[in-house]
Amino acid sequence: MSRLGEHPIVDFDRGREVTIYFNGKPIKAYEGETVAAALYAAGIRVFSRSFRFHRPRGFFCAIGKCSACMMEVDGIPNVRICKVYVRDGMELRTQNSLPNAENDIYSMFDSMIDRFFPHGSHYKKFTKPKFVRELVTAQMRKFTGMGEFPKAELNEKGEYEEIETDIAIVGGGPAGLSAAIYAGRTGAKVILMDENPYLGGQLIKQTHRFFGSGRHMAGTRGIRIGEILQKELYELPNIDIRTETKVFGIYDGVVAAVEKDTKLLKIKPKKIIIATGAYERTLIFENNDLPGVYGAGGVQTLMNVYGIKPGERGLIVGSGNVGLILTYQLMQAGVEVAAIVEAMPRVGGYFVHAAKVRRLGVPIYTKHTIKRAIGKKKVEGAEIARLDENWCVVEGSEKRIDCDFICVAVGLSPAHELLYHAGVEMRFIPELGGFVPTRNRYGETTKPGIYVAGDVAGIEEATAAMMEGRIAGLDAAIKLGYGDEETVRLRDEIVEDLDEFRKGPFGERIVAGLKKIVVEG
Amino acid sequence: MKVAIIGGGVIGLSTAYFLAREGADVTVFEQKYLLYGASGRNSGGITAMHDNEAMIELAKRSIELYEVLPSEVDFNFLFRQDGYIKVAATGDDFEALKEEVRLQNSLGVKSRIIDAYEVKDFIPDFNEESIIGGAYEPSGGVIFPWPVIWGLAKGCRELGVEIRDNTEVKEILVENGRVEGVVAGDETFRAEYVVNAAGAWSNRISSMAGVELDNKIIKEEICVTESLKPYLNQYLLDITTGVYLSQSMRGEIVGGILGSEADNLSTSSTLDFVFRYSRRAIELIPKLKGLALLRQWAGVYDEGKDGLPVVGETKIDGFIQANGFGKAGMSVGPAVGEELAKLILKGKSEKLAVFNPERF
Ligand SMILES: Cc1cc2nc3c(=O)[nH]c(=O)nc-3n(C[C@H](O)[C@H](O)[C@H](O)COP(=O)(O)OP(=O)(O)OC[C@H]3O[C@@H](n4cnc5c(N)ncnc54)[C@H](O)[C@@H]3O)c2cc1C
Ligand SMILES: Cc1cc2nc3c(=O)[nH]c(=O)nc-3n(C[C@H](O)[C@H](O)[C@H](O)COP(=O)(O)OP(=O)(O)OC[C@H]3O[C@@H](n4cnc5c(N)ncnc54)[C@H](O)[C@@H]3O)c2cc1C
Ligand code: FES
Repeated sequence: MSRLGEHPIVDFDRGREVTIYFNGKPIKAYEGETVAAALYAAGIRVFSRSFRFHRPRGFFCAIGKCSACMMEVDGIPNVRICKVYVRDGMELRTQNSLPNAENDIYSMFDSMIDRFFPHGSHYKKFTKPKFVRELVTAQMRKFTGMGEFPKAELNEKGEYEEIETDIAIVGGGPAGLSAAIYAGRTGAKVILMDENPYLGGQLIKQTHRFFGSGRHMAGTRGIRIGEILQKELYELPNIDIRTETKVFGIYDGVVAAVEKDTKLLKIKPKKIIIATGAYERTLIFENNDLPGVYGAGGVQTLMNVYGIKPGERGLIVGSGNVGLILTYQLMQAGVEVAAIVEAMPRVGGYFVHAAKVRRLGVPIYTKHTIKRAIGKKKVEGAEIARLDENWCVVEGSEKRIDCDFICVAVGLSPAHELLYHAGVEMRFIPELGGFVPTRNRYGETTKPGIYVAGDVAGIEEATAAMMEGRIAGLDAAIKLGYGDEETVRLRDEIVEDLDEFRKGPFGERIVAGLKKIVVEG
Repeated sequence: MKVAIIGGGVIGLSTAYFLAREGADVTVFEQKYLLYGASGRNSGGITAMHDNEAMIELAKRSIELYEVLPSEVDFNFLFRQDGYIKVAATGDDFEALKEEVRLQNSLGVKSRIIDAYEVKDFIPDFNEESIIGGAYEPSGGVIFPWPVIWGLAKGCRELGVEIRDNTEVKEILVENGRVEGVVAGDETFRAEYVVNAAGAWSNRISSMAGVELDNKIIKEEICVTESLKPYLNQYLLDITTGVYLSQSMRGEIVGGILGSEADNLSTSSTLDFVFRYSRRAIELIPKLKGLALLRQWAGVYDEGKDGLPVVGETKIDGFIQANGFGKAGMSVGPAVGEELAKLILKGKSEKLAVFNPERF
């Protein structure tokens, strides 16, 4: 059983017990948990098979962004089950496999397909004569596709709503919440949307006390910061809060979203603030798609949101703050951490976190990388190796680590799709974590009226995200005629405060990055 | 004989292929990359169900060519001849279908009128109440446009055709009423014939030669769902709303709405399209409701003022039009190339006569 019983910081109030069916087999679950979490707790690691090579697929990100966890749910194909909550009697089927994903006979393709049918050969092989071509094409077709055509008609009735508002905010993490609160306080009419059923973004997984300066809530646990912000938010009547609402496009200034999978929203705002946060990066190594290789966020979600242990013994790749914090969160939950590997010559995260981890007895291998994950259907171990000055593996330095999961914590990339869709100017700024938008000091991009705030504007941390959110929220409201001189002064004060905050040693990189992308205006 | 072809779409490449097969020295100019134009953005519906005699003849021949060309160029176009279905939701549209089927039958096309229940036999879960009736053509179906273009390009290169991508034609050289060549990129290319196969950009190209051309510009939007195991075999077009759908070889349900006239060449996508398309698609096949749309895009193509293509010689000697194919360019492309090669090399093509640019 891998459900956590007691946790020193989080209380898990599990809902009513229900039964769901996995390929016909009954499984116990609790209302309020996702299907992925329930299956995981029941020890199921393989949810489906991959499109071409029929490799096992489990869950990876736990936040609906990677599509690794797709299954057929009540006759509807390709459902990301890390985003779907259990319902009594739910029928789940594994996809793209025969007879099922655990024992898929087509998994033999994995070792053969490249030899006999390498990429592009569907155009280039068996092209003549005509009858051979037609026969092969017809057979090939049978192997394409992930799920089956819906067996049932989705019985939810589609709804539609048009909304006119002053400011539309996408993302309810610290940046979006702060933008909503500060814009809302000026009297502006705001709609705040987040695809999750809860607000708080990354904060809800952060059970640790925050780093940063005292004035900016350092010492407070991440989850509490989220709660404080939400309380402030709910005091404002002019904010329309929509959770489980995914924004899928920005068309000529119109924001398009789907609420609770059934309602289409067409929002016509005067200003838009994009605060969509970031994605986790992954690493290239052999078998990196094996169930049991996770992103840090996936593990945190599983453990801190659903109270489910990711495994018994883990390997952490990356010693930044996220990797270090995760390590002691795991140990807190009673999970063993075999080691941390770090490619750089020294630990990436803050000294306090590293010291704490070392005290707990976890070895940190610097100048090391993961070479491959070991296992057939799920992780059974990992091979790590030392790196030389040219970042090449030193032959003979390989070492096997026994573990049943691997957690990749190698940083984040801005979640910038909506910015591209809206057509704002984007540039690659390595210091900020990837492609980020050109903007002015208030966060307004090259598309007038479209703002950014938080990790999507550059990977930083929650304090800066909150300040950027406040600035964008205030500026958007001011430009719409809300507030007074006091509001303008407040905005400028926060701008200065943020500059001050970034003057520390950890702000250096960020400041260098911002120099390249923040313009006058 | 030297020929310069402007446009690396299905029309330009088919023409280049058949010219080179007869020994002509051909260069194709593509301003961006192959697949940039409508030929890389369409839904690959192939049919001989047209309402014009010459178009039907070209489409019939093209289907034959799509059956033999893949062997010739050694490239699988992924053409599935599982049939093409047109449906109508109004009595008038159904009458129009009946009339076109009579014409098609008189020219040897094996299309036939079917009722809503027969559509349901082809497409399980089809909502028979969403239409009045339809027409079915067994030899039509779905092709994957990308390998058509890649395969034609491969065939062209093997015959010695030079394909210059990222090379925009900026000027057409004309002396004493005769075309002399083109200026493309930074170079001048001499040629006895210049073919304007620039799709939606054809009006612009034509004016470079001083020849008036006033084709309509049409923008068409399209989208795909997630990929599924084989379900939909036929290509389905609702002529009343213009909504069409089919399933790609990768398994996605590919669907769009027949285009409408635009005043520019923008290929941006709209939310309105997503609304209109999904609403009608779900009426036709209600179970589509459970699927997610993954991507949407748009393409632009051109159409002659009277709805027919513009193909043939112009008042400038050697300047040939090959444009205005509207929503049927993929269906007639290969045969157009074959006929155009005849016109250029032998001075005559009966099948193209009605598309004469001087008809306006
Ligand atoms: C393990 C870990 C430890 C950390 N520790 C600290 C720390 O100690 N101190 C500190 O200051 N910072 C810390 N951080 C960083 C901090 O959590 C982030 O910088 C901060 O959460 C960024 O806020 P944000 O609002 O920009 O984005 P997020 O918190 O990522 O929120 C973005 C929100 O937008 C939503 N969203 C995205 N796309 C859409 C869409 N299309 N439609 C609707 N909603 C959408 C997402 O669901 C999400 O809720 C830590 C991060 C991690 C992972
Ligand atoms: C969404 C959509 C769906 C469609 N569905 C179907 C269908 O199901 N069946 C069907 O038969 N047809 C369909 N069509 C129509 C079909 O795609 C077109 O009729 C056909 O592709 C036109 O081919 P073309 O070679 O004339 O033009 P294009 O493919 O547009 O090629 C013209 C090329 O000329 C190039 N060019 C332009 N200017 C210059 C210059 N100055 N120098 C060099 N090169 C230049 C362009 O970059 C372009 O690549 C569809 C079209 C769209 C957009
Ligand atoms: S989408 Fe479900 S695990 Fe990534």
